[in-house]
Amino acid sequence: MQGFWASCLTRFEKELPAQQFNTWIRPLKLDASAAPSGELRLLAPNRFVLQWVKERFVPRIEAMGAEFFSSPIRVSLNLETAAAPEPVKPSAPAIRAARPLALRSPHAERSSLIPEFSFEGFVAGKANQLARAAALQVAEHPGTSYNPLFIYGGVGLGKTHLIHAVGNLVLAQHPSARVRYLHAAQYISDVIRAYQQKSFDEFKRYYHSLDLLLIDDIQFFTGKDRTQEEFFYAFNALIEAHKQLIITCDTYPKDLAGIDERLKSRFSWGLTVAIEPPEQEMRVAIILKKAEAVSLKLSEEVAFFIAKHIRSNVRELEGALKSVIAYSRFNGRDITLDTVKEALKDLLTAQNRQITVDNIQKTVAEYYKIKVSDMHSKKRSRNVARPRQLAMALAKDLTQMSLPDIGDAFGNRDHTTVLHACRTIATLREKNHDINRDYHVLEQVLKG
Amino acid sequence: MQQLLLELAPPPPPTLDNFSPGKNGAALKALREALADGERFVFLWGPGGSGKTHLLRAFSEAAAAAKLEAAAVDDVARLGEAEQVALFDLCNRLRASKGALAASGEAPPARLGLRADLRSRLASGIVLQLRPLDDAEKAAALNAHAAARGIALDAELIRYLLTHFDRDMGTQIAALDALDRYSLQRKRAITLPLLREALGLLDAAKR
Repeated sequence: MQGFWASCLTRFEKELPAQQFNTWIRPLKLDASAAPSGELRLLAPNRFVLQWVKERFVPRIEAMGAEFFSSPIRVSLNLETAAAPEPVKPSAPAIRAARPLALRSPHAERSSLIPEFSFEGFVAGKANQLARAAALQVAEHPGTSYNPLFIYGGVGLGKTHLIHAVGNLVLAQHPSARVRYLHAAQYISDVIRAYQQKSFDEFKRYYHSLDLLLIDDIQFFTGKDRTQEEFFYAFNALIEAHKQLIITCDTYPKDLAGIDERLKSRFSWGLTVAIEPPEQEMRVAIILKKAEAVSLKLSEEVAFFIAKHIRSNVRELEGALKSVIAYSRFNGRDITLDTVKEALKDLLTAQNRQITVDNIQKTVAEYYKIKVSDMHSKKRSRNVARPRQLAMALAKDLTQMSLPDIGDAFGNRDHTTVLHACRTIATLREKNHDINRDYHVLEQVLKG
Repeated sequence: MQQLLLELAPPPPPTLDNFSPGKNGAALKALREALADGERFVFLWGPGGSGKTHLLRAFSEAAAAAKLEAAAVDDVARLGEAEQVALFDLCNRLRASKGALAASGEAPPARLGLRADLRSRLASGIVLQLRPLDDAEKAAALNAHAAARGIALDAELIRYLLTHFDRDMGTQIAALDALDRYSLQRKRAITLPLLREALGLLDAAKR
């Protein structure tokens, strides 16, 4: 089996990215105790790796075994007992049970944690399951599983939610733990304040005494040398004392620009996990769960429509749902597919340009292949006058200018001329299909 | 003296109550609920003259009166890089403390060319479009404003206001108020001839 496992390691090292190999495969140990022939016994350093290897890699190992021995093998996975961290029992469970509401750790106030951000409220899917599992593992065994845990991913994908969830869980299990969440920008301000007040000793004492430090958006440290230096010390102090550190970032640590190399390399000492943007299926699940949270029954069709059109991230997806709810409730309508289409229509086809009378004149002139100067001229032939009237009507409908001002913009015409043009176009649009279509096309072009 | 009275005074201070919603009732409701116990973040977008500034100033006043932690940021697309970071930070703090934020722009957050982290925070609450009032809604709003001051306006006069002045509601209300002051001073009812006379004086004064 030893020879076989060595060959497995060689092959995995070739097949997998280094980060994955180092995280999942390298920590596995071959169980030295006697095993029946045809069985590979592996030991995992913790339950997290065990679970992950079982789900992802065991079939591959079995396939390699069948090839190596020309007969099927069994793969068993167990926890490496010595390395398995002892789960710490929550202290004083009796008080917790008796007065659950009164239980608020003295450190909770200073922790800056948002209690609503829990693991229960975090919708898991393919895009974030690794990060979620790692966070849960760290929350259950702070300081002894992965340190630091480095979570990276784009905006609005739940990084902040996840690290608050870790903080809340740790605090629930260890009410006396010193937990602190803060955004990197706040850390920078703290450094500046310590610098101005010459209170670095106090600053250090505080940060180095924490049991769990959750620091969000580390990319804000870019180019901030003094902050990076202080953080370097804090990092070392916490890791050495087996205190847990969790960092989030918008990019992979190696890609961070303007961050000291020695910090960057330290970021990958523990485990680095990504949160990806949610795929369609997960977006639907998120919408349904968020709707349920506000006691709203949403059809799958509706959830599917929103998920299909809002692809950017979870935060904006939630915003879209809130907007749809506000829109339908105000209009006293059920949330049907039609209502949702209506509510999101403008958001999805929003105009981005300020419409000016110059713009209108230019667009209309181009459309009818006449000169822009014809918009101001005194010519009254139909092929020039009609477009000019249409442009005036568009100016009235799409800007807030006064009619006299619109008249001025069209070669110092009187406001009654503008009024007449608007009425003429309104009448024509009802009777003449072409004019009506022209109006809509131009309106759309102008709105962008 | 008369000319001074005719100068358009600034429109009355904006409040949520004196906003004429037209098709923007959902936005007005969202702001009221943000001050109560609803979704705390509201982003309103629409062209100039659609009521963004009115609503945000009114929101800000109402939040201050209610001693609620809140911020209102008008036309966010004009923020520079450092200001965007500051607003980002403010968003985080308000979310953490359950404070309220009303912000606005001429397009939805996704199309304003902002930092991605700020943009997604602005889009994290209710996002609604504001539509400028159409002429019928403006006429109704002017009537309501006049009625609140015990004045009845005839349709002809309203049409005149809407065809001779900038058509944003701020200007329209200011024009009506100026006319109201002029009519009090002349002790004459508000009629079209009075308005024409007032405008004639104004023109003469300008020349």
